[in-house]
Amino acid sequence: MFNPYEHHQAKIIFISRQTDNIKLFRFEFTRPIPGWKFSYKPGQFVELSLPNFGESPFAPCGDARKNYLELCVRKTGKLTAQLHQMRIGDKVGLRGAYGNGVWPLAKYDFKTQKNLLIVAGGLGFVPLRSLILDKNNWLGQETKVQIFYGARQPNEMLFRHEYEQWKKQNIQVELTVDRECSGWKGNVGLVPTLFDKHEVWQNSIAFICGPPVMYRPILDKLKKLGFVDEDIYLSLERRMHCGFGVCQHCAVGSYYTCKDGPIFSWAQLKDIPGAI
Amino acid sequence: MDQTRLEKFIAYLQKSDWSIFGPVFTTAKIEELSPFLAAHQPSPIKKTGQILIKKISKAIELNLDGQLPFYSFKRFFIPEQETLFEYQKNKVIAKKQASKIALIGLNILDLRAVNLYDQVFEKDAYYQTRRRNMLLVGYSLTPETASNIFEHQYEEDILEHLPFDIFLACYNAPRKGAWPPRGFTPSPRSLRGSPPKAELSSGLNLRGGLGELKVFSGSIKGQRILEHFGYQTKLGSSRAERGYKDYTHIQFSGPVKEGQLDERMARLRDRLKNHPNPKIWEELGKICIECGKCTLVCPTCFCFRIDDLPALAESSGARQRCWDSCYYQEFSEVSGSEKPGLGKPKFLSTTAERLHFWYYHKFARIPDEFNFMGCVGCGRCAKVCPVGIDIGEVLKKIENS
Repeated sequence: MFNPYEHHQAKIIFISRQTDNIKLFRFEFTRPIPGWKFSYKPGQFVELSLPNFGESPFAPCGDARKNYLELCVRKTGKLTAQLHQMRIGDKVGLRGAYGNGVWPLAKYDFKTQKNLLIVAGGLGFVPLRSLILDKNNWLGQETKVQIFYGARQPNEMLFRHEYEQWKKQNIQVELTVDRECSGWKGNVGLVPTLFDKHEVWQNSIAFICGPPVMYRPILDKLKKLGFVDEDIYLSLERRMHCGFGVCQHCAVGSYYTCKDGPIFSWAQLKDIPGAI
Repeated sequence: MDQTRLEKFIAYLQKSDWSIFGPVFTTAKIEELSPFLAAHQPSPIKKTGQILIKKISKAIELNLDGQLPFYSFKRFFIPEQETLFEYQKNKVIAKKQASKIALIGLNILDLRAVNLYDQVFEKDAYYQTRRRNMLLVGYSLTPETASNIFEHQYEEDILEHLPFDIFLACYNAPRKGAWPPRGFTPSPRSLRGSPPKAELSSGLNLRGGLGELKVFSGSIKGQRILEHFGYQTKLGSSRAERGYKDYTHIQFSGPVKEGQLDERMARLRDRLKNHPNPKIWEELGKICIECGKCTLVCPTCFCFRIDDLPALAESSGARQRCWDSCYYQEFSEVSGSEKPGLGKPKFLSTTAERLHFWYYHKFARIPDEFNFMGCVGCGRCAKVCPVGIDIGEVLKKIENS
């Protein structure tokens, strides 16, 4: 019988430092099981396992078409501190991918109508990069993509060396930092302030991912712009153990963040107390 | 089946390498089981002992009078701690497991809980291996109302919705004065068209002799064991008579009665989902001390966490799965820096929210997932609650809110 708790061995093939305490790791599976192919959709997550440090969920941030997996990890606890000490060639266990990923996109016809607004804060940009990198697979050629992204300071902006390239692909990137910084000429203020400076495309759906505190103010802005609840998607963060809807840690109302999410429409969540 | 046969049957199971567990009366007082509980919730009735689930070697040790065992059968299905695999550096070593375990005397409340485990752990390789090596022998007597808040009663037509291998239904005449009649109501359907039955049973107490038991099989495994038991013990005189034939097979048709919505379930779910009343939880939140005892004794609480247990050698140890409780702070913690006075960032940050989470799981989320209630109504949680939270009372509050 298939055992979902067994992980697959992978080794680190590349590491790049994003900020003081965030590193991007690239993994390659070492002993691929015949017939098994790891794949994921943007927005899904994997469980990373380190012997004696347990497991933690992370959302891949790379291009899902590549045969390697990229995770962007902040040093915040025991497992992530251990991971940050690891070097190229070191091994980890991975299992997944779990969750629904960007399934809601399937219900939109991007060829004719919808545009996409991405609103992200801090590390919340991670899963959305996968979507941007594989944009043509999920969105139409004509789809206009806007990104509203905020970080505490300019040097904490994830993937900042890639923005210029994205802009060339007709992606509008608007940035903000929490506080004034020397050398920063762009917007200062929390992410919702970007809504006061930039016009959101008509006929858009919105994807939001970031620290939970930013969800309410952004939802207010989107509702004022006339977004319907069904067109607003949020990625939820919860403690996860099993990853497939059994252990109960990540339950939100009648949903499991790991199985029914982590991406939910606001229509699904708005009546659940404590969801955001 | 009568007592002699049952004794033979248990001896037969033992010979066939089954470890047999069942309800046993022990002199363990509540003080010994839980000194804390005894101190905090003095019971008006002085108890001389408790029913516990223990390994038995003879049928006579069993206590089959319908009383609820202090702890449920949960740990046989979902152990309090189990090793998923061991590891050495990055090498994973699968763990061999599962011995043959026969559980005798599960009442219909216990069996309802098994319905839930079977659904929740449907795809769990560890559970399925364990379950394949288990023999469930159900029993028809049900506990009194205090330990049976939904007043589940045995009727022959509920058997097809319960997961057992063998079921023993008590049909014997009451022994005067010994046990007050309880727990058995024949359904109109089971009486109709059948030969006049003996009087209602009042309980089988193996220590004091018993009457006749009607035997049902609920699985191929159960049928095989019953037939084989007959041949092995040479019950009949001729070869043709030897197989044990005196049982009826019941085909399991899923945990839920087709086309029949449990009204109580529907009402509770509707209140919780569509008419939330935060006051209930705020009030309970003031008295609940988040000890988690209710989650330990609850037969349907199955939350778990996954931990690594390091061994001495470098990067070696075991990955373990153990019971968790949604009343504990760590249950819903997420990553991030600690805040002074608040600890780690977490969802479910108040006692009220955690209480609501527990009730919502049992009375809204499980019904949504499986179409039956996530509570068998055994009242064990109320019995062990040091501050006296009574699930029956809380449910009434939800319904009347």
